[in-house]
Amino acid sequence: MTILATEGLTKRFPRVTALDTLSVTVTPGVTGLVGANGAGKSTLIKILLGLLEPTAGTAQVLGLDVATKGAEIRRSVGYMPEHDCLPPDLSATEFVVHMAQMSGLPRTAARERAADTLRHVGLYEERYRPVGGYSTGMKQRVKLAQALVHDPRVVFLDEPTNGLDPQGRDDMLRLIRRIGAEFGISVLVTSHLLGELERVCDHLIVIDGGKLLRSSAIGEFTGVTQTVTVEVEEDSRPLAARLGELGETVSAAGRLLMVKVRGPETYDAVRDAVCDLDMSLIRLEQGRRRIEDVFRGSAAEIDETGQAGRTHETTSAAASGGVTV
Amino acid sequence: MTAISTPEPAGVIHDIGYRHYDGARLGRGHARVALTRHSLRGAFGLGRSFRAKVMPFVLLVIMLLPAIVSIAGMALAQQRGPVIDYPNFAATMSVVLAIFLATQSPVLVAPDLRFRVLPLYFSRPVTVGDYVVAKVTAMSLALLILQWLPLTVTFVGELLVNPPGDPGTGRYLASMVLSVVYSLMLACLGLAIASLTPRRGLGVAAVIAFYLFTTAVSQVLTEILGSMSQDDSAGWALLINPFYLVDAVQVWLTGASAAMGNSYPGGASGPVAALGIVALTALGGAVLILRYRKAASA
Repeated sequence: MTILATEGLTKRFPRVTALDTLSVTVTPGVTGLVGANGAGKSTLIKILLGLLEPTAGTAQVLGLDVATKGAEIRRSVGYMPEHDCLPPDLSATEFVVHMAQMSGLPRTAARERAADTLRHVGLYEERYRPVGGYSTGMKQRVKLAQALVHDPRVVFLDEPTNGLDPQGRDDMLRLIRRIGAEFGISVLVTSHLLGELERVCDHLIVIDGGKLLRSSAIGEFTGVTQTVTVEVEEDSRPLAARLGELGETVSAAGRLLMVKVRGPETYDAVRDAVCDLDMSLIRLEQGRRRIEDVFRGSAAEIDETGQAGRTHETTSAAASGGVTV
Repeated sequence: MTAISTPEPAGVIHDIGYRHYDGARLGRGHARVALTRHSLRGAFGLGRSFRAKVMPFVLLVIMLLPAIVSIAGMALAQQRGPVIDYPNFAATMSVVLAIFLATQSPVLVAPDLRFRVLPLYFSRPVTVGDYVVAKVTAMSLALLILQWLPLTVTFVGELLVNPPGDPGTGRYLASMVLSVVYSLMLACLGLAIASLTPRRGLGVAAVIAFYLFTTAVSQVLTEILGSMSQDDSAGWALLINPFYLVDAVQVWLTGASAAMGNSYPGGASGPVAALGIVALTALGGAVLILRYRKAASA
């Protein structure tokens, strides 16, 4: 089954070409749409919602043509815009109830769904207070709630982690994963940070300058080469040399060593080498390669914008996935 | 599907998980009614802060003052007829209606523009037409409440006091119909002007400026032409004021007296005024549609 498909989709504005003969297919699950700012992500979403008319090409959402079945599509789709979209004088509850009714839910159902959805996105007592006093993280949750309140089959999330601190970013990503896995709602999520989507997406589409760079399952991006990150308390250079002698491929990244995993024997080699050198092992972390590495070269520009997010990624990955000895 | 455990705040014992919604999904008509209701509540500040309620309710009380004076007057003097005759009520109280229009029109349209809520509406089944119709309906209803309430209170008072003579039932009913015309025309004009700016303060100023400008121009021209003894032209100049357009139609159709002692030129002025009302209302509606069509694709 296909959630959405575009064929030769093109959108030209008077001064720029936002989308250039883009053809992609998205299957159920969580799909990441990655590209630098101005790559055409938001334009694509607006066309899929029927808010913008494409210059050329066709697009389908849930098997419905955006040009002719816009109203039907908008009934079964949720949309969380990139920008602020909340009136500050209403409470989260009132606003989400109102938006549920705008999607066609009767009043009582709208109330129940709004309460449920706000709870799912993690807003509790504060939902009765005016939105104007919320933190960015809470506002993002309200924006997400209004996109989910009518139980859509697909949600388009435009830069949901924008402006969030590392903790808020993690929470949002975990929530997105839940929407895809637990709620059974397909997700199309955009970001200009390649790294952060790798943890939540099943499938990744990379666009640049309105053109498709790559579209494939997440495993193909990161599964090819496994690495293990090793951190020791002492100077890591002797360890690197020792592992090299044992036939492992090692690269140093600051204090950390990245060791290419050939098989289970690699882990034994690391353990033995650390023991032999009488070092104190701080961390042995199974790390998938960063998506940025895969795209280095073909998407050098994206990689640059990805840098900012990578610092967060590394720290949070260390906190959640690291094995501390 | 496996439940991923997330840290829950204290007090939440278990997560019952996500439930899909398989209840009714109503059409655009339902959304339109809900938006109208939401906007009408907004126009009177209901469900908002205390500050948002002050202005509309103060104005509503001011609109009710003539009703109280009329009833008291009829009871004491035992004479028929309120101080302001029913069909002349809106035109006489035009300042209050204009202030209400100026302060509350931006309340209905500015936040959605300023805080960029519109994409949330238009990414749902709601269309630009639905949105505009709902907003105009809500503003018209708000203005109707402002007129129907005092008119009806006065009429009920007149029936209860029952001074000698025939009750003004016909004139009361005519005024009720007339207020629909006033409301629709004013709502379209006020919302159209207010929708041009996302800033509420600017919207208030723009609507008030429009009212003051048309009133002042019509008044000054009428005075000048009147002093030059060109009474006919002076009467035409009155029609620059949108409130007097409706009043002129009222005089033409019911043959009753004009508000504020105005005298409109005879003959064609009635039909011309009626055309003017239709044109102004249509202009406001067209501006609104174009404005939101542009906003929808932005």
